[in-house]
Amino acid sequence: MTGNDTIGAVMVVGGGIGGIQAALDLAESGYKVYLVEESPAIGGRMAQLDKTFPTNDCSMCILSPKLVECGRHPNIELLTYSELLDLQGEPGDFKAKVLKQSRYVDPQKCTGCGECAEVCPVEVGSEFDQGLGLRKAIYRPYPQAFPSIFTIDKKDRPPCVQACPAGVNVQGYVALTSKGKFEEAYKLILDELPFPGILGRICPHPCESECRRMSVDEPVAIADLKWFLADKVGTIPPPERKAVKGARVAIVGSGPAGLTAAYYLALEGYQVTVFEALPVIGGMLYVGIPEYRLPRKILKKETAVLKQLGVEFRVNTKLGNDLSLDDIFQQGYGAVFIAVGAHKGQRLGIPREDCEGVVQGVDFLRDLNLGRKPTVGRKVSVIGGGNVAVDASRSALRLGAEEVTILYRRSRAEMPASDEEVEATLSEGVKIEYLVGPVEVMARNGRVDELKCVRMELGEPDASGRRRPIPIPRSEFVVEVDMVISAIGQVPDLSFLEGSGVRLAEKGVAEVDPVTLATSRPGVFAGGDCHTGPGIAIEAVAAGKQAAESIRRHLEGEDLGQGRPAAREKPNNLREIPEGEVRKPREEMATLSLERRGATFDEVRLAFTEDQAVREASRCLDCGTCSECFLCVTACKAEAVNHQLEDEVVELRVGSIILAPGFELFDPKLRGEYGYGRYQNVVTSLEFERILSASGPYQGEVLRPGDKQHPKRIAWIQCVGSRDTSLGNGYCSSVCCMYAIKEAIIAREHQPDLELTIFYNDIRAFGKGFEGYYKNAKKLGIRFVNSIVSGVKELTRSKNLLLSYAANGEVKEEEFDLVVLSVGLRIPQGLRKLADSLGIQLNKYGFCHTDEFGPTQTSRPGVFVCGVFQGPKDIPETVVQASAAAACSGALLSPARNTLVQEKEYPPEKDVDGEEPRVGLFICHCGINIAGFLSVPQVKEYAASLPYVVFADDNLYTCSQDTQERIKEKIQEYNLNRVVVASCSPRTHEPLFQRTLREAGLNPYLFEMANIRDQCSWVHMQEPEKATAKAKALVKMALARAAQLRPLHKQSLGLTHQALVIGGGVAGMTAALALAEQGFKTYIVEREKELGGLVNRVYTRANGEDPQQFLRSLIERVISSQLIEVLTDTTVVNTEGLVGNFKSTVQDSEGRQRTLEHGVIIVATGASEYRGQEYMLGHDGRVLTLSDLEQKLALAPEEVTRAQDIVMVLCVGPSPDIGEYCSRICCTVAIKNALRIKELNPNANIYIIYRDIRTYGLREELYTRAREKGVIFIRFPEGNQPQVQAVDGRLQTRVLDSILGQELTLNTDLLVLATALIPQEGARQLGAILKVPVTAEGFFHEAHVKLRPVDFASDGIFLCGAAHYPKSIDEAVAHALAAVSRACTVLAKERLEVGGAISQVDTDKCTACLTCVRVCPYQVPVIENGAAHIEAGKCRGCGICVAECPARAIQLLHYKDEQVIVEAAALLAGL
Amino acid sequence: MRVSYYPGCSLEGTAKEYDESTRAVCQALEIELAELEGWNCCGATSAHCTDDFLSLALPARNLSIAERKGLDLVVPCAACYQRLKVAEKKLAQNPLPDFSYEGKIKVKNLIDFYSQEELLEKLSRGVKKPLAGLRVACYYGCLLVRPPKVTDAVNYEDPQNMDELMNLVGAESVNWCYKTDCCGGSLLLSRPDIVIRLIQRILDAALEAGAECVVTCCPMCQSNLDIRQRELSKETGRDYNVPIFHFTELLGLALGSPGITRWLNRHLVSPRELLGAKGLL
Repeated sequence: MTGNDTIGAVMVVGGGIGGIQAALDLAESGYKVYLVEESPAIGGRMAQLDKTFPTNDCSMCILSPKLVECGRHPNIELLTYSELLDLQGEPGDFKAKVLKQSRYVDPQKCTGCGECAEVCPVEVGSEFDQGLGLRKAIYRPYPQAFPSIFTIDKKDRPPCVQACPAGVNVQGYVALTSKGKFEEAYKLILDELPFPGILGRICPHPCESECRRMSVDEPVAIADLKWFLADKVGTIPPPERKAVKGARVAIVGSGPAGLTAAYYLALEGYQVTVFEALPVIGGMLYVGIPEYRLPRKILKKETAVLKQLGVEFRVNTKLGNDLSLDDIFQQGYGAVFIAVGAHKGQRLGIPREDCEGVVQGVDFLRDLNLGRKPTVGRKVSVIGGGNVAVDASRSALRLGAEEVTILYRRSRAEMPASDEEVEATLSEGVKIEYLVGPVEVMARNGRVDELKCVRMELGEPDASGRRRPIPIPRSEFVVEVDMVISAIGQVPDLSFLEGSGVRLAEKGVAEVDPVTLATSRPGVFAGGDCHTGPGIAIEAVAAGKQAAESIRRHLEGEDLGQGRPAAREKPNNLREIPEGEVRKPREEMATLSLERRGATFDEVRLAFTEDQAVREASRCLDCGTCSECFLCVTACKAEAVNHQLEDEVVELRVGSIILAPGFELFDPKLRGEYGYGRYQNVVTSLEFERILSASGPYQGEVLRPGDKQHPKRIAWIQCVGSRDTSLGNGYCSSVCCMYAIKEAIIAREHQPDLELTIFYNDIRAFGKGFEGYYKNAKKLGIRFVNSIVSGVKELTRSKNLLLSYAANGEVKEEEFDLVVLSVGLRIPQGLRKLADSLGIQLNKYGFCHTDEFGPTQTSRPGVFVCGVFQGPKDIPETVVQASAAAACSGALLSPARNTLVQEKEYPPEKDVDGEEPRVGLFICHCGINIAGFLSVPQVKEYAASLPYVVFADDNLYTCSQDTQERIKEKIQEYNLNRVVVASCSPRTHEPLFQRTLREAGLNPYLFEMANIRDQCSWVHMQEPEKATAKAKALVKMALARAAQLRPLHKQSLGLTHQALVIGGGVAGMTAALALAEQGFKTYIVEREKELGGLVNRVYTRANGEDPQQFLRSLIERVISSQLIEVLTDTTVVNTEGLVGNFKSTVQDSEGRQRTLEHGVIIVATGASEYRGQEYMLGHDGRVLTLSDLEQKLALAPEEVTRAQDIVMVLCVGPSPDIGEYCSRICCTVAIKNALRIKELNPNANIYIIYRDIRTYGLREELYTRAREKGVIFIRFPEGNQPQVQAVDGRLQTRVLDSILGQELTLNTDLLVLATALIPQEGARQLGAILKVPVTAEGFFHEAHVKLRPVDFASDGIFLCGAAHYPKSIDEAVAHALAAVSRACTVLAKERLEVGGAISQVDTDKCTACLTCVRVCPYQVPVIENGAAHIEAGKCRGCGICVAECPARAIQLLHYKDEQVIVEAAALLAGL
Repeated sequence: MRVSYYPGCSLEGTAKEYDESTRAVCQALEIELAELEGWNCCGATSAHCTDDFLSLALPARNLSIAERKGLDLVVPCAACYQRLKVAEKKLAQNPLPDFSYEGKIKVKNLIDFYSQEELLEKLSRGVKKPLAGLRVACYYGCLLVRPPKVTDAVNYEDPQNMDELMNLVGAESVNWCYKTDCCGGSLLLSRPDIVIRLIQRILDAALEAGAECVVTCCPMCQSNLDIRQRELSKETGRDYNVPIFHFTELLGLALGSPGITRWLNRHLVSPRELLGAKGLL
């Protein structure tokens, strides 16, 4: 690979905090980054969290600036809602295929205004709120989401739509109805169906048979809703007709097929003539259906629309007698659609069926409907089981028949008439006899007198799929009747087509192409019942639409069939039916009372009321999520919504890949005994995070999901899914103990009277600051119970939960109001597939396999990993690994650095000098963080009246991307020259707003912030009025200062592209090597004579890797590197300068000094093993530390193997006055060595005495293995330290076993103490030299525990390895690489910008009194030419000299006296 | 439909009405029960905890007989079912040469058996007297569903199929969470002090959930919950009078089986008052 072929771009997969950190590091180090994220926005899990441990920082508040920084970085291209599909090529030059899913919203046009979501009628569970809250089908995951654009969640077409022959958008109009948008719903139906009122009444609704609501209770009453809408909205003007075209179309038959074709062709602009044999329009709709089902006025109203569209009707015109097909073509019609239906009753085929009194059902109904008043008998038998039979019998009853019986040859189950019709028929008094068939009509005087029937039984299914009726021999019987209505089916009469060139199929129906409906004669199409045989109206409508499309194509000369699918696909990607969907009964339509039905033909069923319709429509399960109602399209003023947008696959060339795909939560239902999903008040920990969150579903109130009541007692159950070999999760999820403690603490803050209990296995407080946090939680009264809960029961009335557990040898039951399951982390199935296709090796749990010494390197070269995908871990470790992976990528691609990046280009700065201040004020609601506790409108109204304020605005989140755009807009619109934001802390958000100003052409120093959240709404939560008054005062002060602000400009400085690494252990050497790989010269300064540090005493790794070999190779590579200079036996005695240009003086043990120049510093001074006096350590040769033991095992194993009883005591020293903290690695190291002893001497008795075993992450496997091998673990209660004494020369250990509750005495041949790792001697001194802080314990203190774990607050100085906190080798390596990645963001730059808000000396006033020289903590001021001089590049802007200068000769720019005084004056003015 | 039937000893003695009602329901559903010829004890008594060989050989012999018949084996007693399932699983790993069983037939408990779609339909159509207004707590006990790797139960924390059967015949099954708790059946005689506590929890939970009676599918559970109520009342001072049904009795009642009066006469807590009040007797 040569530099020329290397692509200077990296793809980061996963947009959580890990991916974001990796992307930012690389983008700042000169690489182009593609950040691929599956979901619509970056932010990942961290965005969902409420607060973070151990500092209780608001997760969203510390993340949000990163989101914006990442999203706005010129070198980062976000590919959200996208997936990596495939990766080809080799390190340095990969081709990556990425699927960009369609959002159905154009990201370029969307402004994130949210109007679309306002109108969207579909509400589904919000993923962001873990289903506890709702979102719309068009949505943005959360308000601060980046990018801030919207996405439509569109699944497959729902089954109801697929089932509708005419493709009516059922879900769409049902959704709109549920929101009371009746007119919109009605219009949506009209798109696909011109006759909602007719079909709503008579359609047997195949859609309802497919409705998935059935699996919950009953299908949605879709047809009834259509009926309601048609009646409610009535007729609205038909859609605009296209310009009239010359072509003419003839339609034969005015049934639903013909009318539909006429409607759509007329809309297209064609001149349509409908020929109808009957005197009325409507075909079977008119003559086949009695009025009580379909009132004439509805039929007339809906068919009248066609006349408005210019359709010409010729009634009483029958093809065959009056005119032929040829005639029609001769009259100039370009196409003909034959839709004459099937009006001829099928014959019974039994003797004497033609005698008087036997009529065809269709004839009977036709006579009735044409007003010919057919006479009925007294006793009527109706033969058949379809709708005609039912209609005829009910009509006969209304016409005066005394007794009407339907004879059907199959059973009820096979009856084709719809259920509700059958029910109505029965209720009106018609009898139905099943399994009876007619055999013979008996006549007297040529008139029917009796009907001879036979009983049937059902045989095997026939071609129709229904079971075939078989006559039972000798079961004949005779029924006395005076009228028989035969209704066993209809056939079309197509005799008029003979010789017309249109071929008929065998059954006497028209032969047509199934897709185009074209007959054998060009230009002639046929559809509806005359093609299919008797069918349902909606199928005829579908045929009409099909024919209209074919005829249009025929007339335009287009291909008839192209692009028209023959069959619909079955939907498979549908919205999941929500867990615990509540049963809601289907609404029933009211019906006319039986008395009122009497002999009239008044409509029997009565449309829903509005309430009923809304209720019924709300039962819809929104199977397709997006209902395609298209309201969003009209609502979007930016015209960004486009439902036709398609997915896109792009191929990108990148040099390397970083996988940061994150995790999913363990499915708590797999631990069924805790009742998650069954009990309303059992929630997961992430759900509880959302409950706690101010932006969550309950606005931060602690409520139970079941009844929204405040709980009093909350229990956490730990290890749900973690440390559980029965479920295949033999690992510890590493984060649950701490997040549970945090959740308990925060819950208490929200509601002080809560009783909080955490049921745990071991509390794994192994990180920096964790032990103190845990202790503090105990002090706060949070109860910790060391027990695994065996089961949870829900109490029926209170919905409280009864937990069973064993403690102190007893089984206990305890009641709680809310239970939180601390669910573990696991790798989603989809990720395993991705890894498989990328050729990445995984371990048995699905985590990415990496080795101890290369913790971010996957099994495929050029592909790196970070975060939970590599193993369970928390946020800072993820951030560390992300930076480490970035360093590895950077090293691989360093030949191509800066080849694909672009500098951010800003518009030229406006000169505002001399202008009157014009201030724009933006007040943030911060969701409810501010607006929930004080009155933002009042503050705004007040501020708008203050001097210089020309614009005042309030925003839900002022930090969100859309607000940045708004601020820029307003700057232009109002010609603002100052901007004030009243929101949170400038510490986190000032750079963001300053950049916005710069983008708008304003100098960034013309910005001021008022902190009305941290310093106001949060501290005065209980006093909204006073908080409002204070916010006003704060805003007033900020505005006063803003008017005084002046532009400042930075200076550009060159820098030394070299690094200094202090400490030559594994961390330091790893850092130096990585810097060298990136091409930067590096000095290692090591105090000892040898390199290697702590690892010099580490001989084995649990997984078999050899640390000594690793160390040797590391030292070899360091020594042989051209770019690394190693200075052993040397210490740093002084450091001057600042980021980019440090000068350090180093001195060897003989006092020789040397000065090194370097741009950055990495502190890697490590830690050491505590060796105190405890347990006779140092006095008795049988007492060893862990590293002594390890060394003995490696060099003189017999000294260990001859011991029979070995006792290991964990958590020894240092004394509590250093501060109690967990040394993180001792449990693992002890167990590793115990296993090693067991290997060498299986008969040894090994006792490990502990408080909590903290084998976090995959280390848990070691603990499991040790127990399997017979290592005995003894937990002792807090405060009962084990005692060791020599009895008759033998050591004995006495310990109180907290499980047995008894004291044990153990013979002790060898006592091994797991002593603490303590900070390096001299760490405080080095801290003073570098001017960086150390913690109370003496570890170095990073800039921010969560998100800046390897940075110091001082620029250019970084931290890694055990100097930060005890670490295992892999963690130290990752930490070192991370420090390098951060350092490269400095070293990769050609020049640095300095200055800005720094001190400036007025030499005229300076008396050279030296005060500033003495007080400056950074030793910056010097006296030159009789006055103090402060170097701009060095000044940190702390302002101490300004305060101290007796002559007031120094001013701090941006905080000049007048700028501060006006603030105070503004505050005091009103007093 | 024809299946092999293994009644087990309880159904010949203390739970005779369970046997009779099972047979009546099967008759109504047109199921022919072919009682296993020469069946022997399933091993649920002392055998399974005293003799490893017997614990396997006893049920294995029954399985072997059933397989020779070639008919799936239906088992009403939860304890028998458990033993037969254990044997089924174990024999798949280590066959016993004397009692050949190749797994060609399936062992089904009565509830799972009734829950097949075809029978549900028949049952639904056959209802003559819907148990409208009767609120029942379906109690599955510990042996029918646990441990799932033996019983193959999917929904072992919250089984539903007895509830579905009850709802199908018109009763209203209540939602409660003691469905699979232990009633102490195995300590029935040896440790009544424990048993009393356990059945009190179960009965209290059923009553709290609004049930008027408890429906069982295990002869031990039924008798245990039935027998101890008088004692429990005496001890607690609260009047326990909760009818405990075999689920087949209620199915039989709904299907109009004539034997109902005879079955109910064998209960210690008489269900007559309850059923009478609901108009079901």
